[in-house]
Amino acid sequence: MLRLVPLLLCSLASAQTAHPDLNGIWQAMNTANWDIRGHAAGPGPLAQLGAAFAVPPGLGIVEGGELPYLPEAAAKQKENFAHRLERDPEIKCYMPGVPRATYMPYPFQIVQSQKSILISYEFASAVRTINMETAKKAPIDSWMGWSNGHWEGETLVVDVTGLNDQTWFDRAGNFHSDAVHIVERYTIRSPETMSYEATIDDPKVFSRPWKMSMVLYRDVDPHAQLLEFKCVEFVEELMYGPLRKKSK
Amino acid sequence: MARGIGVLIGLSAAAFCQTPNLEGIWTNATVVPLERPANLKGKEFYTPEEAGENAKKVLGITSWERLGSQADVHYNMSQYGLDLSQVKIASTLRTSMIVGPDGRIPPLTSEAQKRAADRAAANRGHQFDSYENRPLQERCLIYSTEGPPMMPGAYNSNLQIIQSPGYVAILQEMIHSARIIPTDASPHLAANIRQWFGDSRGHWEGDTLVVDTTNFTDKNPFHGSSKDLHLIEKFRRLDAHTMLYEFTADDPSTWARPWTAQMTWTTVEGPLFEFACHEGNLGLPNTLSGARAAERAK
Repeated sequence: MLRLVPLLLCSLASAQTAHPDLNGIWQAMNTANWDIRGHAAGPGPLAQLGAAFAVPPGLGIVEGGELPYLPEAAAKQKENFAHRLERDPEIKCYMPGVPRATYMPYPFQIVQSQKSILISYEFASAVRTINMETAKKAPIDSWMGWSNGHWEGETLVVDVTGLNDQTWFDRAGNFHSDAVHIVERYTIRSPETMSYEATIDDPKVFSRPWKMSMVLYRDVDPHAQLLEFKCVEFVEELMYGPLRKKSK
Repeated sequence: MARGIGVLIGLSAAAFCQTPNLEGIWTNATVVPLERPANLKGKEFYTPEEAGENAKKVLGITSWERLGSQADVHYNMSQYGLDLSQVKIASTLRTSMIVGPDGRIPPLTSEAQKRAADRAAANRGHQFDSYENRPLQERCLIYSTEGPPMMPGAYNSNLQIIQSPGYVAILQEMIHSARIIPTDASPHLAANIRQWFGDSRGHWEGDTLVVDTTNFTDKNPFHGSSKDLHLIEKFRRLDAHTMLYEFTADDPSTWARPWTAQMTWTTVEGPLFEFACHEGNLGLPNTLSGARAAERAK
């Protein structure tokens, strides 16, 4: 306990000039990873797993409720849903992209510094750094995208571009293209909660920009830490099992 | 008087609160091998001239010669600026990363030799049977140099350090995992929780970050180590562009004595790129389907 006192004094000393402190382990408390739209409970994709992998209900995180899909994109989402066992990138342990990484049912940790802010997500050890210096153009498309951040008052605003077209928003097949441009807003609303908003602009998929919002919760357990969820080894049999040598 | 004391407290608080800053984008690329070449036995350091000549020699050959590869078909690393001769390297006078007069990893204990032999025997003749028989790196489970200890790789030997109060985060470009190390000297995870990267706890000793790692698995041995490997890493910034990184590996079932290696890191221009290994892994399925095709053709 005593060793915490100097740390506390130091934080007090630096708090006056500093930006809001987002450091910590955070997690969403919603079912948006199943479907970002409001949804009633339903059966899961595999009958064998019964209630353990059934779809829990949720109010949804999309402001206004509906996603403004262009007609072709709306059809593709339905097709994605029908083929979700083969197509959902989460099943293959692919890095989940932004914003899906935020509301997957796994914690993430923010390590906040002046020039860069690291967000390390437990799922698939996915990671991104937010560049807090002069904004730079995405050098290339990637799974977690390219993030430029700045402070607007008490809010961390992150501009995300350079995302590829391989990630989804949820297990329901909601998707975006590589033209997607996301602006995230992280605002502390109490010592242990933060509001998260993301505006999604993707003219190839949606007829207008739309917004998702949710509350993120800090893990206040004094022993909280991210553990490894390196899921590649859990998907190898699914992906490569058919290429195994047949025993004679 | 009261103001004087206030200033004094303020000053000492400022000094105390000044956590050493290890932040930056670093490379651990080097021309120095882990173990000392036999012809340099007993010689721990080069003269500056000798170090220059060694660098010239190492950088004058191709990546494949450096890796000791016999393959006649391979990547062209220089095409993408990945060859060691094309990247920034920190200078050092060391003749091997391993310190001390010997400069070699201590011999494996008989127990460790048996572990390695059993592992090799189980895979012999089955190298292409299944994904399970392929190296961890080829499966994108973990890169062989990720450690800890963190070693330079054949390419992309880049790391980024970001600090916040109570944490030091280290992001390695290969293959995109971050180590988030608490610096409160808190106790390790329970012994039944084992992780690829183990469980790291740090504390500051003056300007040196000391990181203690246990809770390893037996799935990715470091030069023959067991799950009981106990690793101590030390990070000390020597100047704006130079870091001294040291590790000591202790595992009585593997080596009769602990051994220590040191390497110098230098800053590089960023950014780190995302290395999506598994997401683009066509090599593994191609290798296995190639093996199946070869069997059918027999």
